[in-house]
Amino acid sequence: MARVGKRTLIYRWQRFAFACACLLVVGSCSSGDDGAPRTVAKIVSSLPRTGSANAQTTSIVNGIRMAIEEAGGKAGALAIAYEDWDDASARKGDWDPEVEAANAHRAVEDADVLAYIGTYNSGAAKISMPILNRASLAMISPANTYTGLTKPGLGEPGEPDMYRPTGAVNYFRVVPADDIQGRVGAEWMRDLGGKTVYVLDDRGLYGKGIADVFCAAAEAAGIRLLGREGMDPKAQEYRSLMAKIRKLDPDFVYFGGTTQSNAGQIAKDLVSSGLRARLMVPDGCFEEAFIEAAGHHVLEGRTFVTFGGVPADRLTGRGKTFVERYRAKYAADPEGYAVYGYVAARITIDAIARAGKHDRSAVRTALAATKELDGALGTWSFDEHGDTSLLTMSGNVVKNGKFEFYGLLGSAVAAKP
Amino acid sequence: MATEPATKGAAPAATPSATPAETPSATPAGTAPAPAGKKNLLGLIVLALAVIYPLAPFIDWGLAAIGAPAANLDRHLVSIFVFAMLALALNLQVGYAGLLQLGISAFFAIGVYTAAILTVAKYPFQLELWGALVAAPIAAAGAGLLLGAPTLRLRGDYLALVTLGFAEVMRVLLLNLESVTDGPRGLNPVPAPWLPSTVESLAGRAATTGHLHQLVIYYTALGCLVALVVVFRNIEKSRLGRAFVALREDELASACVGQNPSRIKLIAFAGGAAVAGLAGALYATNLTTTAEPNTYDFNYSVMVLCCVIIGGLGSVRGALLGAAVLVGFDNVASPMLTRWMQKSAGSDTGNVLLTFSNWRWIIFGTALVLMMRYRPRGLWPAERRREHDGDAQPARAQEGSA
Amino acid sequence: MTVDLIFQQLLIGITNGMVFALIALGYSMVYGVLELINFAHGDLFMLASFFALTLLGALGASNASPGLLAVELVAVVGACALFGAAVNVGLERVVYRPLRNAPKLAPLVSAIGLSFIFQNLGLFWGALPMDVFGGGTKAAAPKAFPDLLPNYNLFGESSSFRLTPKDLVVIVSSLAVMAALYALVKHTKLGKAMRAVAHDPRAARLMGIDVERVIAATFAIGGALAGFGAVIYGLYINTVSYQIGYQNGLYAFTAAVLGGIGNIAGAVVGGLVIGIVRAFSDQLIGAQWQQAVLFTILIVILVFRPSGLLGAHAPEKV
Repeated sequence: MARVGKRTLIYRWQRFAFACACLLVVGSCSSGDDGAPRTVAKIVSSLPRTGSANAQTTSIVNGIRMAIEEAGGKAGALAIAYEDWDDASARKGDWDPEVEAANAHRAVEDADVLAYIGTYNSGAAKISMPILNRASLAMISPANTYTGLTKPGLGEPGEPDMYRPTGAVNYFRVVPADDIQGRVGAEWMRDLGGKTVYVLDDRGLYGKGIADVFCAAAEAAGIRLLGREGMDPKAQEYRSLMAKIRKLDPDFVYFGGTTQSNAGQIAKDLVSSGLRARLMVPDGCFEEAFIEAAGHHVLEGRTFVTFGGVPADRLTGRGKTFVERYRAKYAADPEGYAVYGYVAARITIDAIARAGKHDRSAVRTALAATKELDGALGTWSFDEHGDTSLLTMSGNVVKNGKFEFYGLLGSAVAAKP
Repeated sequence: MATEPATKGAAPAATPSATPAETPSATPAGTAPAPAGKKNLLGLIVLALAVIYPLAPFIDWGLAAIGAPAANLDRHLVSIFVFAMLALALNLQVGYAGLLQLGISAFFAIGVYTAAILTVAKYPFQLELWGALVAAPIAAAGAGLLLGAPTLRLRGDYLALVTLGFAEVMRVLLLNLESVTDGPRGLNPVPAPWLPSTVESLAGRAATTGHLHQLVIYYTALGCLVALVVVFRNIEKSRLGRAFVALREDELASACVGQNPSRIKLIAFAGGAAVAGLAGALYATNLTTTAEPNTYDFNYSVMVLCCVIIGGLGSVRGALLGAAVLVGFDNVASPMLTRWMQKSAGSDTGNVLLTFSNWRWIIFGTALVLMMRYRPRGLWPAERRREHDGDAQPARAQEGSA
Repeated sequence: MTVDLIFQQLLIGITNGMVFALIALGYSMVYGVLELINFAHGDLFMLASFFALTLLGALGASNASPGLLAVELVAVVGACALFGAAVNVGLERVVYRPLRNAPKLAPLVSAIGLSFIFQNLGLFWGALPMDVFGGGTKAAAPKAFPDLLPNYNLFGESSSFRLTPKDLVVIVSSLAVMAALYALVKHTKLGKAMRAVAHDPRAARLMGIDVERVIAATFAIGGALAGFGAVIYGLYINTVSYQIGYQNGLYAFTAAVLGGIGNIAGAVVGGLVIGIVRAFSDQLIGAQWQQAVLFTILIVILVFRPSGLLGAHAPEKV
């Protein structure tokens, strides 16, 4: 009896040790790459690569790679190493707060890293911003548009200072924030003859944020708000919602959301439920996938898309070259955010070259002083909050199964705030 | 039953040493007559672990001293510890008491938001982590009782659906009650734990405050986990533990021998919820935010359930192992594989099939299927359950008639 | 809320409820014979939708004449039902059968694993250049499913109540399939065997029923229902994406349990209840509360009817 007991004990014990070893291996395997001399300027991107945002982020990563390739893989005297990190986890299928935090920490601890391109989701930026800020590591987002990340007074109380524990600005974004887009959207709607609007959002940070801005701007523009509600982006269809809206008969439906949060289905159900309302959506839907999802016959003549910047086919100069080269290299049209990934990487390389040394603070300072002359997005610089001075917004419609440029929006208004 | 005295001896042995969960095995192993070589090897491993866990946060200093890149071991371990606590909580409900619970994320979220509300600058409470660590489990346990009491009559999959539904309701509430939870923006920043100023100034010389707070969170998480492991191992061998098993195996019979199934179920509900709430408080502090409510969705609950079953239902070590495997895959192995594939393939083609991220679910899903195929009882099942295998089968067949 | 709106929402609720019911039947029947919550079932539905999309594209259905279209649609429905049945039977054989003697929750984890695999396959499928209706290479984005059924208002476009031939096709064809299923379970030898296995597998085996064959047949029927539902739903909502299995699966599981899991009529009733509650909650309370309302009602129902709406109260085992 005693013998059996002891043997079982050893057995159990052995496996216990095995499990602990597993825990440990798992932990220690996380170590970064082999140490390298500081002649390498590492740029990492942290974007959701697993799950539904994959199309957009692939496009962004392609843009980054192109920029690095164009620079010949060098920033001044430093060789550029690029790593494409995933901030999504399989168990969540979308960006995961824990993974984003781990990515940010990993970037901080890896002394080679000089810049962090990301994030795609504004919610993720809220997590990594303070972590990177403490390490004076520059963070450049090609896609965050939530206003509170940079603009005092437009987000929650305490924003954006709560993301900057050191007080210095280390976060820059090359996309215009939602406040501008929401406003020009409302003005455009008024000019299109919209008197009443029903506003939907996807309950996400981006979608709800931009819908909030839009609502305020719409009232200022004299458009009557017939209703405002959130929807579940994982639902399959929205007919009962549309039946309700049909009864109110608005001129427009505004949807704050993205292709991933089911904008295509909103458009389809709007049409098939017999509404006469037209649809306006923000730049999260400015991608080919939106037309694919909704079917172009549904969108044609009744869908209006606002976009921060000028659409790819309207770009001139370097922007045009970018689109041509992208098409040649990847055999696909760049998505809306591709050019922002490209520009984010370009200005990062440029800043590292200007800093002239392997030093995070110097890179951050150089980045803040960025002045792009006639770049892929035109001529612009960063303001004191890290926002782009580029305020050009374009309106787009769908024609013949493609987005067609409608006109520049509110640029005159926005240029002189 | 031959194993029981040994474990009983082991559990108290852990308390004085107050080191990681693994020490319980260290003491008896030293005295057990086993093949000498093996004994020494195992002793070494356990000794190494007992040293490494408390020292994990300092490994990076050592690495930095020799110029190696940081391992970030402690940060990954905190994630694993939190997930392991969730697994332990669910194990109490599903593994011990046999209550199929598909909504553990609700109690986790309650812990996260309670902790956030009590600590963020937006609210007047400002209780810091230490207050939150007490309040979050209480709030979660309250919710557990609230859900458990009216649903005592429900069995098996009906209970599963009610818990699933509760978690969905909770998620929608957190998302839509913006005045309280800030909706999709989440509550942030959740402040770092408060420490006496003398400690801060003393440690300030050695490390930056950021590091100090990370240390505090690490040791708090480690301490909570060790304490929970000790508690659960004792429960397993206690009257209550046997009552759980009796309830799981046959509710009617357990009532016939004088148990009160309702009371035991409520204990499991409240206890599991409390532990999940505790994990939530640590999670929020570690992340410095509540993240968005959609984090705590049905998928999250399902993942915790997977981790408990993969590890081995009804055993503490199984839950720990499951958490390590699952979080390890997502937070550690995946980034490594991604980098490795990028280095070797240089996947610049934009081809969907050549990117690791695009294979992630297939790898993950196949691993789950294979693990169940070859270790249907989990990687490391509980002994008690195994002894009863013979009886379990007919019982299952009979249940089918319901 | 006016009368026409009440009927409108009722119609929307019933139409959606029918599809939930079709998927829920697959859950419920499998549960009946194996006590397995087949979490991969919703994702099988999703794969079948992609299969349907690919077939319709290959047939060039959007350009076909009405007569040809009808033939093609019937063929696609048949093919998708076969596809669903084949995949489901294959899974049963490869994944679930070896776990027959495993603890109850082991197959559940396998099902969750399969669900992940399916979603990943859906992503790959979505990435294929399908040359369908403009084609597409954006893996994750939803794809447009061809809008083949007439979608005009039978009461005239200006009428405030909207009933389209599309709605009728969904409701009538679903009802027909359910009636056929009912007949099969009630009146055929196979149906009798299925009920016997669900009631008591051991006794059924002793009575000479080939239990394994009955289980395989159940998986085949469940898969075929999902395949059929996939085509019908695709034609109704006109969307396919790798994510459509998630919520449909969740609602179908909910419907199956709400009705009384293992109970075929219960699954249908459960599906209808969910569809109708969803529609009215959108109308009266707001779309952002849909799931909260739905699951609150569900919890309340189960508190008062612990074995579901139509489930027989399980006798205590002695």
